Amino acid sequence: MTPQLDEYVEAEIQRLLTENEAIAEQGITLQRREHLLVLGGEVESAQRRDEICRQITANFPDVEIACDIGIVRAAAPSEVEEIS
Amino acid sequence: MIRIAAVGDVHVDKDVVGRYRPALEQLPGVADALLIAGDLTRHGTVEEAKCMATEFGGLAVPVVVVLGNHDLQSDQQDEVTNVLRDAGLTVLEGDSTVLDINGHRLGIAGAKGFGGGFAGACASSFGEREMKNFVGTTEAIAERLGAALRGLECDALVALTHYAPVPETLVGEPLEIYPFLGSYLLGQAIDSAPTALALHGHAHAGSERGRTPGGVPVRNVAHPVIKQAYNVYQLLSEDVDAGLASV
Repeated sequence: MTPQLDEYVEAEIQRLLTENEAIAEQGITLQRREHLLVLGGEVESAQRRDEICRQITANFPDVEIACDIGIVRAAAPSEVEEIS
Repeated sequence: MIRIAAVGDVHVDKDVVGRYRPALEQLPGVADALLIAGDLTRHGTVEEAKCMATEFGGLAVPVVVVLGNHDLQSDQQDEVTNVLRDAGLTVLEGDSTVLDINGHRLGIAGAKGFGGGFAGACASSFGEREMKNFVGTTEAIAERLGAALRGLECDALVALTHYAPVPETLVGEPLEIYPFLGSYLLGQAIDSAPTALALHGHAHAGSERGRTPGGVPVRNVAHPVIKQAYNVYQLLSEDVDAGLASV
């Protein structure tokens, strides 16, 4: 039987994202949609994004995920803000 | 005029070394100092601190940082601090530094900060010992931050924390976790001195701009919020002669 993607599973995955040493991310968002879990937020590298998906799949093999996690841009700015 | 580059939550590890460097090499032309608002590493290990030192060390401008909660994950914060200081970075925790910039003294007081929440929904020192410890930790940090700010003699005063001093820069985060993202006590400390600008990180899904009850501009410079290597803020404005457009 496929386990239901309920809020207990969501909470376990949320903790995995932070407490798993290979991930250690606190800024990933989760959206439950029926049997699909949509991952959002941004991380510092493609390796980190891929590891998040790998760890969730390894620990929750019955959970279908869609990964919308982006990589934060690191370009130099083109503007300065005057503080007053 | 003083120009401050700022970013937080860079979470450096081996896979990030080299990503920021091209933008950092441009710093002398656009800013006089770089301030980093905590979460310098992923797990707070010495190895990650060395990566941080490689990426953000040896720059042509002074670099001033505070630690974030990630930097305490491995209980090696003292070793992490030593690695960063050996690389020439100034690490603040309840203390301050003064930089001489363009004939002006830029005072920076910094502390990691901690949680507790904000007016109307803040934690109280009551009940379980764990709860008293939680609130007491923030009270002690805020007290040291306030004292460091008030003790500075300078032309422009900046507060640097990891946790947020106001709720406005948390907008976008779930309301339920605000108490884990900052505390009004930090804002109160910032308002106890003539602070010109308060910088923080930690809230990846938050908002960039806010203001303390006392009117101090607050900027959340968490990397996922500013979406570039660093932001540049100008204090003591006379004119803009940098290579950047004023907004």
